[in-house]
Amino acid sequence: MQLARVVGTVVATVKTPGLEGIRLLVIQPLDRHGRPSGGSVVAADALHTAGPDELVYFVAAREAAEAMPDPFVPVDHAIVGIVDAVATDADGAAGGPA
Amino acid sequence: MKLARVVGTVVSTINAPVFDDRTLLLCDLVDPRGAPSGGYLIAVDTVGAGPGETVLLIDEGSSARQILGVKSGPVRTLVVGIVDDVVSGEVEGRPAAPQRTSG
Repeated sequence: MQLARVVGTVVATVKTPGLEGIRLLVIQPLDRHGRPSGGSVVAADALHTAGPDELVYFVAAREAAEAMPDPFVPVDHAIVGIVDAVATDADGAAGGPA
Repeated sequence: MKLARVVGTVVSTINAPVFDDRTLLLCDLVDPRGAPSGGYLIAVDTVGAGPGETVLLIDEGSSARQILGVKSGPVRTLVVGIVDDVVSGEVEGRPAAPQRTSG
């Protein structure tokens, strides 16, 4: 799992049957200091609660589908938690949800 | 499995059920000498690891679920060990004198 920031929403009416009813959000993966890292990805929002600009953590690969009500859907990234705070020891927190 | 160092904790109250009542540790991946090798992972703690400790991570779903005793769930990365010592030597069939690096 890694940190990410919610940066958008994807609306798609025509899609693979397994993706119906799944909220698709654009997320920007972050490094552990909270800085953007790599390209953005579209993730399924398993919690149906993540809002714009929220700090979340996500899982990739097979485990992303495991976050869905039906674990056999074509999902490879899923938001599995909203971050309240990241407490780091040495060099400062990555920042809570601002 | 991977070597990592615990550098923090992720606090979260809204999360997938499998993470309820579990501690999430922010772990920098490290090489056998303990130097950051780039990248980090958020891992579910199963051994009570503390900040600054070198740990062993499993990063594979079925093993993770087996360890947590759950049948399904979006979990793949766990802290499964606290490293006391890493003794690394050369490869290519000629083990050099092992270099001890403290955990």
